[in-house]
Amino acid sequence: MFSRILRRTHLYLALFLSPWVLMYAASTFVMNHRDWFRGNPAPPPKWMEESRTRYEGEFPPWAGKDEKAQQILAGLEMDGRSFQAAERDGVLIIQRLHAVEPRRITFNASDRQLTVEKQVFEGAAFLERLHRRRGFQHPFLLEDTWAFTVDLFIAAVIVWALSGLWMWWEMKVTRLWGAAAGIAGIALFAFFLKVL
Amino acid sequence: MTFQHFNRRTHLYLALFLLPWFLLYGVSSIPFSHNRYFEERDKAKNLPLWTVRWEKPYDIEAPQNGPFREFARRIVTDHRIPVGSYGAYRQNANEIHVFVYKPLHSMRIKYFIKEKKLVAEDRRFRWDHFLTGLHAKGGFDQDDIWQDLWAVVVDVVCLGMLMWIVTGFIMWWKLPSTRGWGWLALMSGIISFTLFLIRL
Repeated sequence: MFSRILRRTHLYLALFLSPWVLMYAASTFVMNHRDWFRGNPAPPPKWMEESRTRYEGEFPPWAGKDEKAQQILAGLEMDGRSFQAAERDGVLIIQRLHAVEPRRITFNASDRQLTVEKQVFEGAAFLERLHRRRGFQHPFLLEDTWAFTVDLFIAAVIVWALSGLWMWWEMKVTRLWGAAAGIAGIALFAFFLKVL
Repeated sequence: MTFQHFNRRTHLYLALFLLPWFLLYGVSSIPFSHNRYFEERDKAKNLPLWTVRWEKPYDIEAPQNGPFREFARRIVTDHRIPVGSYGAYRQNANEIHVFVYKPLHSMRIKYFIKEKKLVAEDRRFRWDHFLTGLHAKGGFDQDDIWQDLWAVVVDVVCLGMLMWIVTGFIMWWKLPSTRGWGWLALMSGIISFTLFLIRL
């Protein structure tokens, strides 16, 4: 019974998380060959202008860059997701994070112009963004949910490894070659630790 | 040997061979995902991360802009610093840092342009840095053959992950009793992932 539960857990967890496995495999390959996919050094991302309007809102006197950014994003109905804001010489630049379509919003205080730009989609950059997205540092539920799936994936890796070892040990005919493969892997890994 | 037999053995032996990497990438994702916790935990120890190993006068023309790789190579060669993987960047107008990475013992060499001085520092070993350092290690941009071979193994791990999916799907399909729940798990995963892509 225990073995059956273990086998089913191994299988169904793998089926559920297969999109994540694919994404991590593809993004790791892209990052390992960054020169091929993005060039060295990688060129800056390309932006496409979506709108250019005059911003009529007023900021409270105490507002810092983050408060101003939140107010602008709320006005554009783009709030509720993580962003990074930087302000310099009266120009506020908001990087609105998104897996597929990140946006850059620029507010120039001198002429009150508000420009919204969308990042031109680039496959390699998209995969790298997904790979690097993690952690519970953002104040939004959706971000925490994604961070939770990353933790789930980590737990799954450990479950796959342990349940896989158990299933291997149950199949007596595979023990010898399995041990050879396992020992070869550990030896190669240890060798790399020594020479890297 | 039937195809099904070959498929099962490929899944198993590939997993056993690549297990150290698979575990490394899994376990090292914990300090990446919970970086704040590990930083605070280390901060509470109140130990310096870097300690000075030596200081030397050194006169070299510092490039104004990057890349600083040639500059870094000259420094590590002149001072016979054993390197595998290294990189350099400008810290500020007066300092260029060369970072020499080794899984168990990394170091940093700071070049002070005005003072014409080099300061080499050792980084204290931290388990979380050991794991994240190996996790982030990859690419073919170093001069050392072992670094390139590690990058080849990273490619093999990527290929291994694809192979596990393909061989795993074939094994699942050959087990008719698991198809109902299997479809449910697979579709739930695909839908959740797609929703994240749209909303995240």
